[in-house]
Amino acid sequence: MILYILSIFLMLLVAPILLSYIKALKMVLLFKKPISLLQGYRTVAKLLRKETLLSKEASGVTRYAPFLVLSPLLVTLFFLPPVVQGAYYVSFVDAFTLTGLISLSTFFLMLLGLDSASAFGGIGSSREAFISALVEPAMVLTVFAVSMMAQDLGVGQAGVNLASSFPKMHMASFLFAAISFFILLLAENGRIPIDNPETHLELTMVHEAMTLDLSGVYLAMIESASAIKFLIFASLFASLFMPFGYNNAPPIAVIIFVCKLFAVATAVALIEVNTAKLRLFKVPNLLGIAIVFAFLSLITFYLLGA
Amino acid sequence: MMVFLLFLPALIIFALSFVRDVRAYKPLALSAFLILIPTVALLPVAKPYRLLGDYLVADALDVYVLLVSSIVGIGVALASMTLHKHVAISHAAYRRFYRFFALFWIGLILSILSNHMGLYWIGLELATLSTVYMIKTNRTAAAHKEAWNYMIVGAIAVSLILFGIILIYASAKPILGEEAMRFDLLILHARDIDASYLFEIGFAIATIGLFIKMGFFPMNLWLANIERASFYPVAALFSGILESAVMIGFFRFSKIAMQIDYDHLFGFIFIYTILTIFIVSFLIFRSKDFMRLFSLSGVEHMALIALFWVSGGSFAALLHFGAHAFLKPALFLSTGVLESQGKYKIAGALRGYSGKRGALFWFLVSLFLLALISLPPSPLFFSELYGFGAMIDTAKSSHHLLAMLGAIFLLLLLLSVIFYKFVELYQAMKYEGASHEKQVYAGELIALVLFACALMALLLPASLRYLRGVAL
Amino acid sequence: MVDFLMGLFLASLIVALFTTRLYRLLNWYAFNSMTLGLLALLIGTRLDDDAMLITGALTILLKAGVIPLFLKSISRRFRFIRQIQPEIKVHYAIILVPAILVFTFYLSEPITHMITHNSNYVAISISSLFLSLLLMMEHKNIAPKIIGFLSMENALFLLGITATDGMPMLVELGIFFDLLMAIVVINLLFHREQEEGA
Repeated sequence: MILYILSIFLMLLVAPILLSYIKALKMVLLFKKPISLLQGYRTVAKLLRKETLLSKEASGVTRYAPFLVLSPLLVTLFFLPPVVQGAYYVSFVDAFTLTGLISLSTFFLMLLGLDSASAFGGIGSSREAFISALVEPAMVLTVFAVSMMAQDLGVGQAGVNLASSFPKMHMASFLFAAISFFILLLAENGRIPIDNPETHLELTMVHEAMTLDLSGVYLAMIESASAIKFLIFASLFASLFMPFGYNNAPPIAVIIFVCKLFAVATAVALIEVNTAKLRLFKVPNLLGIAIVFAFLSLITFYLLGA
Repeated sequence: MMVFLLFLPALIIFALSFVRDVRAYKPLALSAFLILIPTVALLPVAKPYRLLGDYLVADALDVYVLLVSSIVGIGVALASMTLHKHVAISHAAYRRFYRFFALFWIGLILSILSNHMGLYWIGLELATLSTVYMIKTNRTAAAHKEAWNYMIVGAIAVSLILFGIILIYASAKPILGEEAMRFDLLILHARDIDASYLFEIGFAIATIGLFIKMGFFPMNLWLANIERASFYPVAALFSGILESAVMIGFFRFSKIAMQIDYDHLFGFIFIYTILTIFIVSFLIFRSKDFMRLFSLSGVEHMALIALFWVSGGSFAALLHFGAHAFLKPALFLSTGVLESQGKYKIAGALRGYSGKRGALFWFLVSLFLLALISLPPSPLFFSELYGFGAMIDTAKSSHHLLAMLGAIFLLLLLLSVIFYKFVELYQAMKYEGASHEKQVYAGELIALVLFACALMALLLPASLRYLRGVAL
Repeated sequence: MVDFLMGLFLASLIVALFTTRLYRLLNWYAFNSMTLGLLALLIGTRLDDDAMLITGALTILLKAGVIPLFLKSISRRFRFIRQIQPEIKVHYAIILVPAILVFTFYLSEPITHMITHNSNYVAISISSLFLSLLLMMEHKNIAPKIIGFLSMENALFLLGITATDGMPMLVELGIFFDLLMAIVVINLLFHREQEEGA
């Protein structure tokens, strides 16, 4: 139990650092002076000190929504596969619950964008709805495929099974699922081929458009929500698709796990530096590839057993 | 020795094609006659005769197909002597045409005589790639486009064939080991193959590749377009030699498949060929120029041959095959003459040929046209008769006689559409339109006479007996 | 490990289907051939088959190195259109590709009962054959069609090394010979084209 609480605490701590790390790595690669890894904490601290202003048109939704954006993600954090051996974990949560919780958070984010009645908020919400509608089927398929390979529908149990006995004969479908999941990771977190987290250009922004009208505590909550969301995806990727290091002694296992998280973040940063953002209407193409791979992984698993 | 003799004429042509002197043109064409020596020498020897270990083995079927294709090769080489009088062609292009003709011939002799699936495929591929250049001899935009087309579609077809060959090999490897590439062993041990499903998939893919190469169902028009865009000898070579080599591959593969699951084979080929003939007959009805017309009718004949072969009428198939191989090149060559220097209309195409040569020419062309639509003395008439007979015989032993009769009725209906079109065409050529003075040259006339003689020789009792011997 | 490479092989082919730039397509083709060569080396060492080791090394050298670079240089010299938009829209391709895969996997499902080892690879190579046909069909330009033809050759090679535990040397060399011949023909066709245009 203590390991469980500690690992969740650790993940919460790592979450802002990961996003800052991506940003810093990108700046290094672009020959800029990188920001500090603690920039995420600083931003949150600064926002907490600032005054919270609300738009005149905003209704009660704006006041409640940030909590509802953050809380499903926090709950999801408790359902992730365990980091170290012997830690407590929730074994019964399956792909649907996980996807449902994440989309619940996205739903309130979209409501938040609409509520301020600004034009940008509407644009952002509609784009977000468009993208997440495409992400969800692929997400369910992918997580299902992996859970099938791990012979347990529960995601937590699947992670443990994969780490203890890796299904070598299903390597091909495992690979397809990994490709699909990585594309989803980019899409859900608004990383570069889908959305650029750094611009505030009205033509391109998705996530930022919804949070334009927020300030102070609410903005801090939304920011930390997006950090946690990235962490959720990264740790899912780390424990489902890179299932090694789990069986070591707890301190080493934790270090390996954190390294895996940073490896995922590095991959994301490299992709962000090397690709251009897709036009919004090209996004379905990329997500289509994700769906194809998710489906492919399921059918190779079922029909070929490979 | 025999192998060397077989490839000698092609090698001579290849070497002579580098000589820039105009005087070399005559021996260039005439050296094709040398192929008759080994071919005729192969006729009486005991079959199967090993030419080169287990790789090149001549059996009765091979020798027959080789004979047919040699006659076509000689005819085409002769008729190409006057190529520059009918179309605009530079000396360099003329020599290049012969050079790639030689390569093409080598490839096809290799695949006709091969007893090894891999070797068969290599020969076919060599022929395919050299054809790309033969098409390119014509320096027009259309020919260029069609050369690319041929490159792509031919490559697809050939790759499909290889794919099928690999699957067949995989299915037979457990019992035959590395020898599973040999046709004769495959036929002998076909019943022992455990992985019959694997074999059938391989057979189906290889057959589709072969059929695409002959212009069957999904790719009906590509061959017609290519033959239209290239010079007429290319079309003649296609129908006379290339299709022979492709067809012999089909004969071999289906012989193995017959022993594995006859019903599957029959159903597959039956549906495929009837679908092809259905589409092709209407395409023929709509087509408005000679080349396309003849090449589509070639597709129809090929479909009939495949159908006769699998329904047990191998004698009919071989007769049809021989007649087709002589008729089509003859018609393509005469089309080249009819269309000489780009002036041509269907109406009145056969008018204006005067003098002894002219009269002989139009007489021969009429003969070929009427033989093509299987009017009674034509070998095609007898082969169709025998073929349909064989189909009914096969159906008698099963319980779908009625379906077979219906299919034959449908086939006859479709053939009558083609018949109608050709009769109309012939009338237009002979009795309509204005007449201009036109020229025929000795080279092509000799070739046409050769084809006509070969066609008639097919009907001699001796050759029919020989064919029955081959069909066994 | 073999499964992993097999997955990479199929995955790179599928990604190539959705590519809209010529150079990236060439890169995917090179990657595809690379996995194929590694597969041949891996299976070759397992079977202790020298012929397969040689062909595997040749594959890596030629198909993953020389041919893509050569095609790149050709495309520079003859100024190919580098934006290659597939004719089949992505929305349809998304449905079509899984449909093809399901079809071919079902088609080869009985085979899995016949061959005891490497049975899945037959299914994967048949499906990659169909996918390369799709690659050829969905493009109007000549360059991606050539890539489609080359990946078809790769599918053939995959089938050759997996389904049969190695083809006779004659046939493998024949395949290589044919590939080189095809490349020469392609090159000459382009040259002729330029000559005629001038």
